[in-house]
Amino acid sequence: MSKMWVIIKREYAQVVKKKSFIVGIILTPLFMVAITVLPAMLASKQSDDTHEMAIIDLDDKGVGEKFAESLNQYTLDDDLPAYEVTDIYNINPDDTLKLAEQRSFLDSLVRDKQLKSYLIINYKAEENDSIVLVAKSFGFRNNSRFEKRMSDILSGIRLDNTEVNLEVDSILNLTRRIDLSQQAPGGIERDFMTMYMGGIIFVMIIFMTIITYGQVLMRSIIEEKNSRIIEVMISSVSPFQLMAGKIIGLGLANLTQVGIWIVIGLGIYSFRGDLNISADVAATMFNPVFLTFFLAYLLIGYIMYSTLFALIGSIVNTDKEAQNFIFPITMCLILPVMTAMYIIQEPDSAITVTMSLIPLFTPTMMILRMNFIGVDAFTFANPIILEATIGIVITSLTTLLIIWLTSKIFRIGILMYGKRPTLPEIFKWMRYK
Amino acid sequence: MDEYLRLENICKTYESKKAVDNLSLSVPQGSIYGIIGPNGAGKTTTIRMVMNIIAPDSGEVLIKGSKAKDDFRNRVGYLPEERGLYKQMTLKEIIRFLAEVKGLPVKKTDELMDGWLEKMSLIDYKEKKVEELSKGMQQKLQFITTLIHQPDLIILDELFSGLDPLNIELIKNVLMEEKRRGTTILFSTHVMEQAEKLCDYICMINGGQKVLDGRLSDVKSKFGTNSIQINMDGDGGFIQELPGVEKVSEFNNYIELKLSAEADSQAILKTVSEKMTIHRFEIMEPSLYDIFINMGGVKPSDFNKEGAANV
Repeated sequence: MSKMWVIIKREYAQVVKKKSFIVGIILTPLFMVAITVLPAMLASKQSDDTHEMAIIDLDDKGVGEKFAESLNQYTLDDDLPAYEVTDIYNINPDDTLKLAEQRSFLDSLVRDKQLKSYLIINYKAEENDSIVLVAKSFGFRNNSRFEKRMSDILSGIRLDNTEVNLEVDSILNLTRRIDLSQQAPGGIERDFMTMYMGGIIFVMIIFMTIITYGQVLMRSIIEEKNSRIIEVMISSVSPFQLMAGKIIGLGLANLTQVGIWIVIGLGIYSFRGDLNISADVAATMFNPVFLTFFLAYLLIGYIMYSTLFALIGSIVNTDKEAQNFIFPITMCLILPVMTAMYIIQEPDSAITVTMSLIPLFTPTMMILRMNFIGVDAFTFANPIILEATIGIVITSLTTLLIIWLTSKIFRIGILMYGKRPTLPEIFKWMRYK
Repeated sequence: MDEYLRLENICKTYESKKAVDNLSLSVPQGSIYGIIGPNGAGKTTTIRMVMNIIAPDSGEVLIKGSKAKDDFRNRVGYLPEERGLYKQMTLKEIIRFLAEVKGLPVKKTDELMDGWLEKMSLIDYKEKKVEELSKGMQQKLQFITTLIHQPDLIILDELFSGLDPLNIELIKNVLMEEKRRGTTILFSTHVMEQAEKLCDYICMINGGQKVLDGRLSDVKSKFGTNSIQINMDGDGGFIQELPGVEKVSEFNNYIELKLSAEADSQAILKTVSEKMTIHRFEIMEPSLYDIFINMGGVKPSDFNKEGAANV
């Protein structure tokens, strides 16, 4: 044990002393924000400028005017109108020459960026209407707003022309759509975006730290193999002590890093009033039950995967050879991120539950599900708590199995140089005395 | 002399290749013991089994008559064939670290460190990183890390590989000092000339099997063939016909005679000196190399083969 401690100390110091450790502490969160939160934030961000547009109206029902008016309900962050309709041109649909002239004139305005877009409204009472939006670029938000407003207006006009004995407005009111509001038990608002981001952030922490420290571990074993110092090491300590010492030493460095993030996170949390962090984000992220599970999964996940990285390091000779083996490991880790959109819709479905109990997926998948479903107290009455606890047992047992297998291969692999071993050879190593 | 290390019928097979085949040997306490053989003979595998890095398929490794206990690792100093250190650590850090994994407390290491660094003329580099040292310096540093914890058994795999002549002298002197302290030294090499100058006992192995072993002087007198080297002027064609001469090999400026067991070297000296001027006449001790070639049925080229499987 005391020898293992010497190795733990060295591995820890080698990582923590490096400048890259400090840089990692700062850059990793920035990177995680960049690839998860930023796209979501950009997507929900309002445009800064008023959208200037023109309308060509080919009917005499005043659709263009009604549409322009309906756009007034949309405003920008600084209360300026979101849309401004500069002109409405009423043209007879049979006058194709005039229409073509008008279109080419507006086309040139759009091209010169004097207008963002123009809309051609061709209302037909009996057949399908033709509504054309001309613009240099299209946005999801504008499209859905225009569609919604235009549908309402045109349905209103059609309703006016039927025999229904009701006010148009009251019909529209009767058929209005609803907005679903999502709440966690206790009445905490949970909207899709914060659920998604909150879950992804924790998965990314597990993913990034395992990949980073796993690869550090693997490289250091490959390097020790190449420099042959590994032979000196195993003349002093057993291969198992060496492997365990390295995994624990780097694991402590990993925990130090995550610990610093959590402290910073709690620091920010204590100023949440000033920073305007929404209550539901905070409730999920800083729930002690959730954080305990998170740290447990971080630790087990780290040990499980880093043992696999140690296994790879012991059987290959170069980083390049290692790449082939890293790919499947990365896939197992990243799978929950790729399937997050499904999990978020069906966090309790049979497929999700089954997948989250496959040991290699469990740490990330379970954390994601816990975040989506929400945990408030440690009680097995909440199925996710029960499943997450079972998950911990299963992954722990799997990890022990992986450690056992790896230690059998590791002790032989670190002494094998030159040719990369084939799979049958590796199986033979396991039977060596 | 007491026995320190004993191997009893150890065997190790990799895939279908027998790396070590029923090898037994006995290393006396305080001796310098050389395991000699061509590349791929099984030297490294044998050493790894002594170190308990790998376990023999059968047979036993005994330290002072009993199986090695856990703390045996602390009493061994091991220099592997290919040298390497953690390049990013300073000399001070790496000496401390490698001594600490051998169970030497940091305080004790610090007491011993400067003496060793002085001896190896590395004292000015104490706070420098290993990567800043030349290759020769790194080898000397590795030597310090092998010996600083005052092991009872020093194991040196391919001791001379990559050492320059100056360092070979330095390291020989250090090893002699260690021997005087009572340390047992086990080394392997395929460089016979160096082994001859250093070891008290030898064991020759080839193809995983022992060819012969014993005290160096005994081996030489038992297995040696008589030979004579002569430097002279003129044509020595008649020498071939002299009684007792089995074979004559001509070299650039001397000839070497291989004699039968009952040949009289003094008679040969007399006969030759009557017919021509002799500059040098030397009765040669048989070299280990010759003995090996005679005994092992190995081709001389086996000793120069590089890149043989190193398992």
